[in-house]
Amino acid sequence: MSIIKTADLKRSFSMGTQSVEALRGINLDVNAGEFIAIMGPSGSGKTTLMNIIGCLDTPTSGKYFLNNQEVSKLKDDDLARIRNKEIGFVFQSFHLLARSSALDNVMLPLKYAGEKKNIATERAKASLNDVGLQDRMSHSPSELSGGQQQRVAIARALVNSPSILFADEPTGNLDSQTGDDVMALFKQLHKNGQTIIVITHEEDIANQAERVITIRDGLIESDKLVHENE
Amino acid sequence: MLFVESLYSAINSIRANATRSFLTSLAIIIGTASVIAMIAIGEGAQNALNDEIDELGGRVLSVYASQRKRGGVTYGSNPLIIKDAEALRDDTKVDWKITPSIEGSRQIKFGNNNMSAGISGHWTNYFDIQGYKISSGRNFTENENLSRKRVAVIGPKVATELKTSPRTMLNKELLISGVPFRVIGILESEGSSGWRSPDDNVYVPLLTASDRIYGRKTVNSISVSISNDQNIEEAMVAIEQVLRRQHDIGPGVDNDFRINDWSQYSDLRNEAVAIFTILITGIAGISLLVGGIGVMNIMLVSVTERTREIGLRKALGATHRAIMMQFIVEAMLLCLLGGIIGVILGAGMYYIFSSFQEWAFYIPLGAIIGSITFSAAVGLFFGIWPARRAAKLDPALSLRYE
Repeated sequence: MSIIKTADLKRSFSMGTQSVEALRGINLDVNAGEFIAIMGPSGSGKTTLMNIIGCLDTPTSGKYFLNNQEVSKLKDDDLARIRNKEIGFVFQSFHLLARSSALDNVMLPLKYAGEKKNIATERAKASLNDVGLQDRMSHSPSELSGGQQQRVAIARALVNSPSILFADEPTGNLDSQTGDDVMALFKQLHKNGQTIIVITHEEDIANQAERVITIRDGLIESDKLVHENE
Repeated sequence: MLFVESLYSAINSIRANATRSFLTSLAIIIGTASVIAMIAIGEGAQNALNDEIDELGGRVLSVYASQRKRGGVTYGSNPLIIKDAEALRDDTKVDWKITPSIEGSRQIKFGNNNMSAGISGHWTNYFDIQGYKISSGRNFTENENLSRKRVAVIGPKVATELKTSPRTMLNKELLISGVPFRVIGILESEGSSGWRSPDDNVYVPLLTASDRIYGRKTVNSISVSISNDQNIEEAMVAIEQVLRRQHDIGPGVDNDFRINDWSQYSDLRNEAVAIFTILITGIAGISLLVGGIGVMNIMLVSVTERTREIGLRKALGATHRAIMMQFIVEAMLLCLLGGIIGVILGAGMYYIFSSFQEWAFYIPLGAIIGSITFSAAVGLFFGIWPARRAAKLDPALSLRYE
């Protein structure tokens, strides 16, 4: 079942008088349950691509279907609702609210979804449990290690049971051991059927996914399946 | 849930920047505090004034001679005389007490010290009408009045001015224009009641003043004290009837006297207090306006500082409305806290002020509710623009804002 389908996706930015084409026609299909890595050097357009398929941005032209619904023409607030329900984000710099506990951070998407407090608390607790942080719920981010912070962020991304989990350089701020732990967690989630897209420029991170898509100069350069050495 | 989250976020943000938040809301605090203090002082002054007027002649009318006119032609003044006061006294339609006053000033001397003092002559009921009390000695009697005895009751400050004590002067001789008078009573200190103080006056029987000091039968004024169950307007009409008959004024001719109602002064003073209150409230309003602009400025800074947070919230599904609410709630909370602190501060200021003035401590509830509501409204108004800026931020760019 196709979750993401894009047709000739283009995005250009105007820089003063010049117009820069960041994406020059991307055709991409993602099926449910896939574990994909998007690679590319900086400036290749991989971040722009993630912004568009993550509904943070809209394409200049082309079509984008998420769960068979065209989202490329939607208004800001409709996109916000789709991000809330269908997409979970994990960022390189974690992006946790510094003054809120792990539990409150994880509850945030549920608050925006208008969920009742007791239900939201239950689900956030369950989500933290899934990433192994059931003992750290009331800790604030500054009381947690980098790896723990990233796991809070993953719990937050998953709390609304999104169709896709996006991770933008999820191991970029972590040491290799902790990075491996995070990737192991992704693999675990993938095994449970979660669709995951990781954006990275590190080859050994990308190679842990099932499928690696390389972007260069706003176009897909290669799209291949990785066969893990069991 | 969304509102609770906004409130939670606002409290966190204000606590995180406690000093900045306090400084920002300082103008709101000062504005609200001055509104509360000024309204309370205005109210207190009005109440104190009303009490004072009720106590010291709120129900005392003063009759003065005035110029007589007929068709624009002035006939010269027709003075009030002792007989006019007697006619009023003898009219019993209205329950009132009457005393004429002959006033002037003369040189007085006690021992080697002398000074110029106000000397006034009255009937024996004068102190009773004015509510003055005699602290030592006694009042003069009707007999002393009729026999023009040289006796005097003095205000306590007369003794001070003459560099002696009231106790020393009692039953001693005081020279008024060189004529010896016996001091028979000392008044309790009344304090200054506006433009005149009874404390530095010398009081003698009316006929003594008339015959022995001033040598005239005309009086400066007639005081009419009206009992509490009588209507002041009716009493004024009655005074008019008696005096017109006394002065033989025909129909269509104006009065040659005027009746001063003390409540007129009270109205005048109340008006002054009201103008004062409006003025201060205006200044406080400007201070709230400035405060509001300060809050707007800080909110704009806060939006810029928290661009990444806004980006994150949007990425997690915050709508335009949710972000708007977050920042408006923060601005309103900032102003609301300022307003509440201001009310407490203003109440404290008034508490100190009122204890010095010996006024009752009372702050109108409407002023408290009004000024807190107004400061929250300032927050709402000045919070809208920064909140819109926040809500309009592009999520993708904000997430990567450095």
